[in-house]
Amino acid sequence: MITITINNKEIRLERPVTVLEAAKANGIKIPHFCHHGILEQWGGCRMCLVEVEKMPRLQTACTLFVTDGMVVMTESETISNARRSVLEFILINHPLDCPVCDKAGECKLQDYVMQYGPTAGRFKEPKIRHPEGLNDPLIVRNQERCIMCTRCVRMCSGIQGASAIAVTNRGNHSSMEPFSGERFDCEYCGNCLTVCPVGAIMSRLHRYSYRSWQVTDEIQTVCPFCGVGCTMIAQVRDNALMRVVPKLGLGSNKGLLCNRGRFGYEYVGSGERLKNPLIKKNGKLQPASWEEALDTVASRLKDIKNSSGGNAIAGIAGARCTNEDNYAFQKLIRGLGSNNIDSIARMGFAGGQRIFEGMLGPGVTSTPLSGIADSDAVLVVGGDPSEVNPVLGVHIRMAFKKGAKVITIGHAPGLGRHRTAGLLPHPQADGVVMGGLISAILKDKKSLPGGNRPLEEKITVMHLPSADDAAAACKLSAEDIGRLAKQLAGASSVSIVVGREAGGNKDTAMLVSVLSYILNARIYLMSERPNEQGLVDMGCLPDMLPGGRPLAEEGLRKKCGASWGIDIPADEGLTLMEMIQAASSGGIKAMYVMGENPAFNLPDTKNTEEALRRLDFLVVQDIFMTETARMADVVLPALSWIEKDGTYTNAERKIQRLKKAISITGMEDWKIVAEVGKRIGLKMPYGKAADIMKEIARVSPLHAGLTYADIEGGDNLWPYKGEPHKNWFSFPELSADAFTSPAEEGLCLMLEKPLFHSGTLSRKSPALNSISPEAVLRLSPATASGLNLKDGDFAKVSTEKGSLSLKVKIDRGIDGPAAFVSNNFEGRGLFSLTGYRLDPVTKSPLTEGRQISIEKE
Amino acid sequence: MEFKKIIKTIFFTEILKGMALTFKSMLSPAVTRQYPEEKHPAMPGFRGLHALVVDPATGKEKCIACGLCAAICPSQCIYIYSTEGPDNKKFAERYEIELTRCIYCAFCVEACPVGAIVLTEHYEYTDYSREALYMTKEKLMANWNKYMAGPKGEEYFKKFWHPTADDYRAYDGQPMFRKREG
Repeated sequence: MITITINNKEIRLERPVTVLEAAKANGIKIPHFCHHGILEQWGGCRMCLVEVEKMPRLQTACTLFVTDGMVVMTESETISNARRSVLEFILINHPLDCPVCDKAGECKLQDYVMQYGPTAGRFKEPKIRHPEGLNDPLIVRNQERCIMCTRCVRMCSGIQGASAIAVTNRGNHSSMEPFSGERFDCEYCGNCLTVCPVGAIMSRLHRYSYRSWQVTDEIQTVCPFCGVGCTMIAQVRDNALMRVVPKLGLGSNKGLLCNRGRFGYEYVGSGERLKNPLIKKNGKLQPASWEEALDTVASRLKDIKNSSGGNAIAGIAGARCTNEDNYAFQKLIRGLGSNNIDSIARMGFAGGQRIFEGMLGPGVTSTPLSGIADSDAVLVVGGDPSEVNPVLGVHIRMAFKKGAKVITIGHAPGLGRHRTAGLLPHPQADGVVMGGLISAILKDKKSLPGGNRPLEEKITVMHLPSADDAAAACKLSAEDIGRLAKQLAGASSVSIVVGREAGGNKDTAMLVSVLSYILNARIYLMSERPNEQGLVDMGCLPDMLPGGRPLAEEGLRKKCGASWGIDIPADEGLTLMEMIQAASSGGIKAMYVMGENPAFNLPDTKNTEEALRRLDFLVVQDIFMTETARMADVVLPALSWIEKDGTYTNAERKIQRLKKAISITGMEDWKIVAEVGKRIGLKMPYGKAADIMKEIARVSPLHAGLTYADIEGGDNLWPYKGEPHKNWFSFPELSADAFTSPAEEGLCLMLEKPLFHSGTLSRKSPALNSISPEAVLRLSPATASGLNLKDGDFAKVSTEKGSLSLKVKIDRGIDGPAAFVSNNFEGRGLFSLTGYRLDPVTKSPLTEGRQISIEKE
Repeated sequence: MEFKKIIKTIFFTEILKGMALTFKSMLSPAVTRQYPEEKHPAMPGFRGLHALVVDPATGKEKCIACGLCAAICPSQCIYIYSTEGPDNKKFAERYEIELTRCIYCAFCVEACPVGAIVLTEHYEYTDYSREALYMTKEKLMANWNKYMAGPKGEEYFKKFWHPTADDYRAYDGQPMFRKREG
């Protein structure tokens, strides 16, 4: 125990912290510029000078650690004089343009000058001038205002790991510049904007549009872009969203955001938003009244149910919609007598989680994000976390900086500079490498941990390839595999980060479970959409009821059905891709799509579109006119994330509150669904989102008794206040070819998950489009020169399924013979080029037909 | 006491005193102004109808849309919506004052760092509709041209409100941190 005295107040501390932190924790404010809670200490601004007894000179509180018996004074005549001088020096070159500076009102310099400020400057020479950096579409730099606290640089290199900016020049002439010149060429996370204490680096999105004190409301909500579920504050002025900002220490993101979250919000105010319900008349979608549209949907669905049975109806739930929306939606579909309900979570998330839970126990993916940064080793399989879940990626980079071993299997260019080793087998041969790793680890550990008997029995009969065999099959070095296995086996705390591709493939998912078991590792399942976990928990699965209860258990099914006042059919429904197949063969006649765009987001676009066209009746509920909505018979406009109340469940299985910040006319997804439900004769008496939460808390054993107050009060971690489903161990069989690497050679087509885009929403965001405006074909320099292609050339990419003409972009982050195409831009998606096969267990579509030919145009 | 009271009662001294004042006033000139026909000249610094200062050099408003007038306004009747202009400078897209709520305290004039808003000496603007008493940017700039253009406007700032930015003016328009001279 350390006892110190600050301003005559005795403070007891458990461990040595800096004077600044000790003071802050006890409500004593010490002014500072360069110190920031998540950045490393620097001690450069000299604003936090304090007097310490028995020390001859003033000390910087941010770098001075407390010692027992220390006596500190934070305010005195001497200190004020010193601080005033610091401010006077800063103001030699800092312009006095507060009236137009967007930072005014939340500017630290402004506040401190008001507090200590000199009334006059004694410096006679003219100020150094820098023209404003207006060449970047998102970030505007005003280097006249910079006070050289280097917070942005320390954020960029120390936390974000992008190292895109640095201080250039010396002395008076120093300024913060991106390495790429006037325009940024970085991850556009914008975390430098958060930490800038003055107005030197600011967002261009809301430039000059409001002053900080004109904000009428600040609402804490959750980011609508990916499954990390970053907490953010939405600032609203007069019912218009001005900007979103993170808050230090709040949520899993701890004050960080990525480019999508920070700059992507403008889609809310897009002019392309759907406003009126549309009904197809004479082959054209025409505006209709809500009454007419809802009546049409209800009566057509009832007709189809009566004529072809409930099984002819299918529903695709939305991973962008809240838990409340999805709960109401699955109730509607089940109320129509069908279990054909699935969602985009089928693309790898739901299946992977099922296998992990089946092999390791329930709730195995409920792991707090902060655990990654504290790991000794991180293994990344099946995706690039710094592009899919950027903030999760930052946590891995932080772990690497702390000395953790980071190993990636497959392409992960975002971790290129932050990994110990990157193994790059054939995209379909992740399993071989993992098999090799497992057998090498087992050789190293000599015995299995014991504890999970059935799993251990399974491991013994797995026919794992030896490290040498695996290395040979994947053209890697056996030594590498051996060394990495040693590193993993030696680590005391391991995290495994699993992407969609690895989760969807049952073999990889099983091997991940085995690795997790033998290394006692935490599993982090990447989630590309904000509420994939919510879809699973709310029962938007063909074989699951809310709360993760299997449909097959009769007692639970009856109980659930009784509380809804319906008979839930006992047969399991069709999964996502099976629904599409059934639609094309005529088995499914009507489909209700909520907040999803299957015509674009599902593989084999052409056939999917064809199947949707064959439907007798298609209802699409969305906020934009998507490819699917254009084919629909009825289009229902919904509300966006900032316009509704509800909850999202993130990849950590944490339920977080979404709060309504702006109100526009229209109906929330759950309200539309409830209106349809009422017309069909279902009991859906919901007045507000909280009513649905009440029903969920009653019906779902996992969410038993959960209220919004609990969620906001921090009672939001799995298994909440309820009971998880137990006793459902299941061990699928490994496929016969799990450990064989495909022999095929040549260029391989890969799905790019771009950092700047995520699908329907990001497409309509002008800021994201300005930094990534079009679909490109990414090639490694070697591949491009082999094909005689240069940056900016157009190339025709052809597969068996079709061809696309794309602009070539040479990307030095890509290794090996791979061509990357994203699936984000209309008419130019990768899924129009590839086919798929269904995994027999997870039922996820696995990409097939990666062989491509590229011709210069 | 009794005697004095009796004298007062008998001789109506108080009435005579009153009548003396009446006769005196009758002979002095009248103070009542025949208002609509005869206008009252506003005193210097009178706080009447608002106007946005038009810069004679550019013909545009001087306002930089800092919002300090709206922030200080005790009755919160100033609405400013700013944006980035084509020259990347900040400007007020909408500058509106609700006259029916204004209390004519002139805090806005005092707060303005660049001397962009004034209260003119014009006071005759009653109307039957609220719309007519809702000032937009165009109306406010027209007010300046109508009531304050020329030397009158220049005089106004010299005499009354001294924009704070003038104290700090250094070189090529860049405000400088310097003590007020003199």
